[in-house]
Amino acid sequence: MAVIEAIATTYLEADAASVTFSSLGSYEHLQIRVSGRHNNSGGAGASIYIRFNGDTGSNYSTHTMQAYNGANTGADPYTGQAYVYAGGRITGPLTPSASNYGTSVIDILDYRNGSKNTTMQQMSGVVDDYSGNSFLWFSSSLWDNTAAVTSILLYPPSGSFLRGTEMTLYGLNSA
Amino acid sequence: MPAFTVIDHTELGVAAAYWEETGIPTTYDHLMILVSGRDSSAGAGRYGHLQFGDGSLDTGTNYSATNLTARTATPTSSRDTGATKIPLYYISDDDDTANTFGTYKIWIPNYSNTANFKQAFAQTSAENASTTDYTWSLALIAGLWSSTDNIERIRITAGTGNWMQYSTFTLYGVTGA
Repeated sequence: MAVIEAIATTYLEADAASVTFSSLGSYEHLQIRVSGRHNNSGGAGASIYIRFNGDTGSNYSTHTMQAYNGANTGADPYTGQAYVYAGGRITGPLTPSASNYGTSVIDILDYRNGSKNTTMQQMSGVVDDYSGNSFLWFSSSLWDNTAAVTSILLYPPSGSFLRGTEMTLYGLNSA
Repeated sequence: MPAFTVIDHTELGVAAAYWEETGIPTTYDHLMILVSGRDSSAGAGRYGHLQFGDGSLDTGTNYSATNLTARTATPTSSRDTGATKIPLYYISDDDDTANTFGTYKIWIPNYSNTANFKQAFAQTSAENASTTDYTWSLALIAGLWSSTDNIERIRITAGTGNWMQYSTFTLYGVTGA
């Protein structure tokens, strides 16, 4: 048994409102690698949102540290949200090139442990987002629930992920 | 040959001041450590550290580090030189949201060579359902152990308290082609 195994890859042949991973296996940790773009151009940002186990309650927190547009840096805390800001920012419809996709690596640790809430770390970067801005984003998030994670829903703030978006879920064994 | 091998996985059944792995073989190219941890101390005390050794643990002033950290809306950076350990900064503690554990993700490249000093790169986070300054933390850390010894021993120490029950430590050996 390999230590790191690819559980599932979703490559969008057509635009899609969301991507769901629902067969998560019995690993110690999970990792999702995203090359993504969506058509949300709203001011709410171009993050990838995540929900676990279909929970739509205000049970999620996210803390971010980011650099953007050259000389700017900042950090933001969010709590009581109905989703995780998982992906920093990915590209949207107004970018200079239709071939420009953003990147995220999402680590979800100890996701089956019934004594722990689910916590995660995310690294992401995009050179041109929906309004031509560039972002480098490091963040962590919390789902305030000790249930084992059995499904992961990824979706944009509005609109759809665009054709060509690819997401791969990996499982990391501990034995 | 698989690229990743599990060298050790530990889930604490009772609280412990540190996790330590010894006898790390030199057969891999790199090491990766994933920690899902919670510290029994609070505030400034919840501040983990990393140390290395070849045989005995090196507690001398042979460590340096630089970091980019956010605990408020304004990220900051600082350096440590001549230190006795590499700071990994904050992790979730017993004052934070119940059952919430923080994350340390640590890469240690080329750990077994005996020609160069050893480097480590860490992404660390103290997660908490709070927007109050200093109750959460994000940090990126570059660390250096100024020794040409190979790394045979690794210790990750909790802050002023202990690693709490259910904290997990997974050490991977990473092989090149």
